Amino acid sequence: MSAETWKFAPAYELPQWPFVVPPDLATGDRIRYPVVIAGGGLAGLTLACDLAVRGVRAVLLDEDDTVGVKGASSRGICYAQKSLEIFERLGIYERIRAKGITWSVGRTFSGHDELYAFNLKDESFSEQPPFINLQQFYLEWFLVDRILELGGTDLRWKNKVTAVENEAEGVIVEVETPAGNYALECDWFIDATGANSRIRSAMGLEVNASRSADRWCISDVKFKKPFAVERWTWIDAPFNEGRAVWQHLMADDVWRLDYQMGEDADPESISRPEVAGARLREQLGPGVEFEFVWIGPYQYRDHLLETFRVDRTLFIGDAAHVVSPFGARGGNNGIQDAGNLGWKLALVLAGGAGEDLVDSYHDERYAAAAENLKITKRTSRFLAPRSAAEHRIRRAVAALARHHEFARRVANTGRMAQANAYPPSMWAKDGARSVQNVVLDGTTVMRLLADGTRFLGLWIGASDADIASLQGVAACWPLVVRRVAAGSDVARHVAAGPGTLVLVRPDAYVAAQIGAPTPERVEAALRRALSLEVRA
Amino acid sequence: MKTEPNIADPDGFYEAWIAAHEGLADGESADLDARLVLLLANQVGDMAVLLKCIAAARDADD
Repeated sequence: MSAETWKFAPAYELPQWPFVVPPDLATGDRIRYPVVIAGGGLAGLTLACDLAVRGVRAVLLDEDDTVGVKGASSRGICYAQKSLEIFERLGIYERIRAKGITWSVGRTFSGHDELYAFNLKDESFSEQPPFINLQQFYLEWFLVDRILELGGTDLRWKNKVTAVENEAEGVIVEVETPAGNYALECDWFIDATGANSRIRSAMGLEVNASRSADRWCISDVKFKKPFAVERWTWIDAPFNEGRAVWQHLMADDVWRLDYQMGEDADPESISRPEVAGARLREQLGPGVEFEFVWIGPYQYRDHLLETFRVDRTLFIGDAAHVVSPFGARGGNNGIQDAGNLGWKLALVLAGGAGEDLVDSYHDERYAAAAENLKITKRTSRFLAPRSAAEHRIRRAVAALARHHEFARRVANTGRMAQANAYPPSMWAKDGARSVQNVVLDGTTVMRLLADGTRFLGLWIGASDADIASLQGVAACWPLVVRRVAAGSDVARHVAAGPGTLVLVRPDAYVAAQIGAPTPERVEAALRRALSLEVRA
Repeated sequence: MKTEPNIADPDGFYEAWIAAHEGLADGESADLDARLVLLLANQVGDMAVLLKCIAAARDADD
């Protein structure tokens, strides 16, 4: 047996930001802020950036002084269209596109056969692609740079939250720093400290956690072999003892190869370079040189917090919900939590919306998280059958999928993250669907929504007189009205016919469709969407 | 879910069903039935009917 040697690429060089003694600590005064966010991961940074764009000066407390996870490599890698559209609005999309890997095709294999393929581009109206892959820390890094560029946000590194006290009209937050401890107050406190939030557990909140027995081991690897820039998944790979494998490209020519392991596998031994290297050799074949970037064994888990709002404390991202990684429904939903919450906080703080609007954050994002949990649990059950009967049923699916389209639909290696629709509520009586970043009249939906915090009224087939009739409403409310040609991409995408005004919220979700729009009807719809008293 | 007779040739169907299992080991037979269930489910399509069939199949085993 020839001994192979295993090479490791140099570690990623991550930026560090300096600890600065906070003014509260320097002066000893307890200062009150509109919004304090704990946790500088995807969700917390996206919210801080979203608030900065809206002119809300938030404080962000992070216990570390860099991005990414200490001692580990990237966690999330796939960023979905809705997230990319949010980043377009926040001004970092071009940087993500330039650094990341754009893809839309996925293929699923069983043994040596391709079972099915999809191209997400086919269903897209957006200026953004269905997905871009990028190491999570790059995204966090771009967000920090953008927040610093926008100014106004107080990013506090090496500031660790040690206690949180909910009061009737605000929250008191105690913080530990290298220069000593201090407390601050805020109108709204956001826990974005992730899956293991101590803030959440200190409040005694139940998350209904469960841990899967299914084990996986990631190898992030650089090699020179012309694999397709697509998402490839094997239900039962011949080069991984008949277990599942994921193959996906990230930035810097780093491939993520994720191998399903036996349930009794020992995490320490399966992640040894010689063991992981032998797996790779099996997949890549002889003669392909490779370098490890990172090897990481894991077991996935899930949880769902029962309420995302406790008094003036709100939970976003993994602090609120965790799902298995299949379909990229983790990080994307943290980003989309932030996209849902930012405009609501901004308007409530400015007095332009009723405080109850914040409850719609829980209402909508809890429903999204519950849906994502249901979908990802189904995928994990398909990928890790628990009995001989489950193996038999999956074999039947794979066998028929080789011949029939209907059976391909049953094979499930992940249902890719989409912008979840929200259920009917007091804020959106028909529920709320996401609007993609469609091009209209030389601009796009997201660019129209990027300026301040306002609604967008898309009036299908309106005349000049129609648009003029809403000038008065548009002057009194955060609203811009646009004429949209019947049958245009936007009209087809929102599935609205001539004469309908589609009221799009600042987060690019439809608040209402208004037939035969009048100033009174549009104002009533805005009042509902903003949780303001509806006048009779 | 239909429970009134709907199979045009019950004896012929039974004969064909058992004939398909001839010469198969138990595991292979079970695999065949699983594939058959999936093919038949696609003929039905309606989720409410499928759920009633699953429940009825489970309840009948006593």
